[in-house]
Amino acid sequence: MTAAGRYYFRLNLYHRILHGMVIVSFLGLAVTGLPLKYAQTSWGRWLSLALGGPFTTGYLHRFFAIITFTYFALHVGYVARLVMTGRRGIFWGPGSMVPQPRDAAQLVQHVRYFLGLGPRPRFGRWAYWEKFDYWAVFWGVSVIGASGLLLWFPTLFARYLPGWIFNVAIIVHSDEALLAVGFIFTVHFFNVHLRPEKFPMDPVIFTGRVEEEEFRREHPAEYEQLLTEGRLEARRADPPPLWLRNFARVVGFSSLAVGIVLIWLIITTALR
Amino acid sequence: MLAGTARAADLPKSEDCLGCHADRDLKRSAPAPGRPASVSVDAAALKASTHAGLECVACHKTATAPHEDKLPPVRCAGCHDKARAVLGEGVHGGRTAPARGAGGVTCSSCHGTHAVRPASTLAIETCATCHRHQVEVYAGSIHGRSRKRGNSEAATCRSCHGTTHAILAKSDPRAPTYHLNLPRTCAQCHADPELAKRHNISVGNVYQLYMDSIHGRAVSKSGLLVAANCSDCHGAHEIQPRAAPTSRVFRANIPKTCGACHAGIHKTYAESVHGKPSAKGGGAAAVCTDCHSAHQIQRVERAPWQLDVIRECGTCHQESLRTYRDTFHGKVTGLGFSRVAKCADCHGSHGILPASEPRSTVSATNIVATCRQCHPAATWSFAQFHPHADPESKARFPKLYYVSSLMTGLLLGTFAFFGLHTILWLPRSLVERLRRRRERGEETSEP
Repeated sequence: MTAAGRYYFRLNLYHRILHGMVIVSFLGLAVTGLPLKYAQTSWGRWLSLALGGPFTTGYLHRFFAIITFTYFALHVGYVARLVMTGRRGIFWGPGSMVPQPRDAAQLVQHVRYFLGLGPRPRFGRWAYWEKFDYWAVFWGVSVIGASGLLLWFPTLFARYLPGWIFNVAIIVHSDEALLAVGFIFTVHFFNVHLRPEKFPMDPVIFTGRVEEEEFRREHPAEYEQLLTEGRLEARRADPPPLWLRNFARVVGFSSLAVGIVLIWLIITTALR
Repeated sequence: MLAGTARAADLPKSEDCLGCHADRDLKRSAPAPGRPASVSVDAAALKASTHAGLECVACHKTATAPHEDKLPPVRCAGCHDKARAVLGEGVHGGRTAPARGAGGVTCSSCHGTHAVRPASTLAIETCATCHRHQVEVYAGSIHGRSRKRGNSEAATCRSCHGTTHAILAKSDPRAPTYHLNLPRTCAQCHADPELAKRHNISVGNVYQLYMDSIHGRAVSKSGLLVAANCSDCHGAHEIQPRAAPTSRVFRANIPKTCGACHAGIHKTYAESVHGKPSAKGGGAAAVCTDCHSAHQIQRVERAPWQLDVIRECGTCHQESLRTYRDTFHGKVTGLGFSRVAKCADCHGSHGILPASEPRSTVSATNIVATCRQCHPAATWSFAQFHPHADPESKARFPKLYYVSSLMTGLLLGTFAFFGLHTILWLPRSLVERLRRRRERGEETSEP
């Protein structure tokens, strides 16, 4: 138990604030968007009316869309700043979000591990499914955001684009949103929070701190690299204060609950 | 009465009168205008009548038989004073009544003279002596035919026009057939669920629905004489069941019936995509009542009605309704909000024309103007949005079909991959957690 109580930073405050914006806007968009997509169901109808009807829901939806565009811009600006300040390893290397051959190899290795055919892969700073989540947001915000803007300002865009593009936008916005909601509320929730090793949730996105034992287990390659390069101590963190742990619990469980309720409604509707 | 009986002994007996009046060829000495020349009396008819027990002098006032002078007119009111008083208030006994035609309506016109019949035996033939046309028409109506078949509850003259002596003209505000009173009169039978059940009449609660409708409120609340009452649509004497082609409410006849008042709308409708086939007897084409209903016609400005009509259009235009429900317009109206485009906002209502016709609101000529009603900045390109697109139709919407298929593939692919990934990971992760707990347990159990 020598490692107990020793914490390291995994996510800085900027990361956490941006992910907080992602949580708020994503749940907000889901709660205000799904009632329109599922307007024909009783729960969709109920939710829409509870939120003040489709017009009020629409205003709220666009409010959360603005938050989404804001965090997207803030993140792109953050990456640009890193590049301009000469930070290395942004686009390639063990600390990069860019998918690399190692990720494909680790995916195969991970599946072999699931089947009991080999050891657990030694993941670096970002495991392949974490990279997938990251790029899924990039892709999702671009596609849903672009189609959403088309539908937000149809007469403006109709000056430059043919009208059938709005038919395409309706399909893309709706299907892509279903993909995003379905993915986040099942796969992301499972991978990060609900799988038995993490259950019921991983508070790192709120506290930013990871316990040494978990750090070594989940991201052994990164841990060892930091250790050998002597940079580990620079990442030392104080244990998360009680208020932060409670904040993580309240916000985390609330968000999980909202997501699980929504995905439950979507699945039962699909099965009906 | 006592005085009467005292003098009765001196008065002539019926036999005395019949001494002369039994002669079949007995004629008046001087002709009386409007009255039969014969003064012969059928004694047998009198004996068979309600008045069998009366002497002739009870009605024909004379002290002697034979008599020289013309006797004073018979006054039924001498005995039936109440009936005379009531008749005086009605159309048959009013001051105008005798002026009409020769002699007007007297008691004998309906009850007869010597063969006097009680009220209960008077049938429609009695009315037919003067109102021949109306009775003939009535005899062919649903009411008349039902009665002929032996249905004693089917309406006859008195059921609607009021009973016996107090019969009033339909222009009289007290008359049961007065424009504003008629719905209540029809309701005597047609708002009676028991009666409807007995005679298998599929009326539902038409009376309540009608009274709540725009017509019913106009009649009952505003007293509007031009608002349709029952007979304006169904007719009066000639009422036919709606399945009969001669009925005014027969499907093909409905536009004409409504058009009797709504002439302007009828003119527009007649040229429309619905009106043309309907005029040719096209059974499926929408007529007035399909959208507006028959008895519960509502104000068209009200949102609940506007939203109901969308469903109504969808009963025939199923594909259009389905694809409409995929759009923002269709979803919002589906949620009960009417502030977005409904069928009629783009297609019009009474004057709907096919898109191929230049005058149509959705023709290439007018479509931009139609969109601009709500989207003031709409352009020709904006109007290329297809509000009834069907991404499942490869033939009609190939672009949307492929986009939709691509999206479906993306969803299925992603969920299949990560679904499998999750299913495989779950047991492994469970094993991992249990192993870790066991290790921790061993650690803590060691001193």
